[in-house]
Amino acid sequence: MKEDKVTCKDVMQHICESLREDLNSERCIAIKKHLDECSGCQNYVQTVELTIDYYRKYNVKLPKESHDRLMKFLDLEDSD
Amino acid sequence: MEETELIALAQAGDKQALAKLVKNYEQTIYNFAFKICRDKNKAEHIMQETFFSMVKSLYQFDGNSKLSTWLYRIVSNHCLMLARKFKNRSFVSLDDEDGLYEEKYAADWNTIPYKSTENEELKVILDEAIEKLSPEYRMVFLLRDVEGLSTEETAQATELSVPAVKSRLHRARAFLRNELNQAFQK
Repeated sequence: MKEDKVTCKDVMQHICESLREDLNSERCIAIKKHLDECSGCQNYVQTVELTIDYYRKYNVKLPKESHDRLMKFLDLEDSD
Repeated sequence: MEETELIALAQAGDKQALAKLVKNYEQTIYNFAFKICRDKNKAEHIMQETFFSMVKSLYQFDGNSKLSTWLYRIVSNHCLMLARKFKNRSFVSLDDEDGLYEEKYAADWNTIPYKSTENEELKVILDEAIEKLSPEYRMVFLLRDVEGLSTEETAQATELSVPAVKSRLHRARAFLRNELNQAFQK
């Protein structure tokens, strides 16, 4: 699992990909310019990033008993 | 030992190598299954079924994709199979794409007092929001944004086209962001 923080480039890539545009296309450059100047859109992008970040950080640890049951289920032994 | 060596040994019947592969991925698969079904018992069941499938069909693994992508494909299938058993559950429709981008609530995310995901109240909000999404949308969002697979790997794991992955991803993302925005406004 990648824990890397989402970068502005990632966000732009996503926006442009969804529009089937290349990062350097005219439309994408125009979007970037708009984003640089529009606080509403900046806020929207930031909150989408935060949403993704919350879900990334919400993890559950495999309980030892579940691991033991899995190995038994598969008829495998722990080697270490 | 490199993963390719472990795979080759496991394919040749080495149980220790197989056990090592299982141990290398059990946490990832359990965590992913939990994120799809939001239930620890179901997550354990799906994890067992996923590795059972892996053991049965490892000889078919040709190394053309990463083992992790192959496993995500298996676990995704098991998640979908389990979800289909509960067909009577209804999920939100994301057909109205324009509606997804309308700003209906004005929450200030900077003042949210419980930003840590260790916070139980936040966990409830995250669970409730994602449970409204159908498993097909959940899967794409989790594989691409949360697990960090590429768009192409996500398409492989879900057997969707790349444009379909992108479309589902953007809708799922916008929907979840709006749900959180609404919850934080309260």
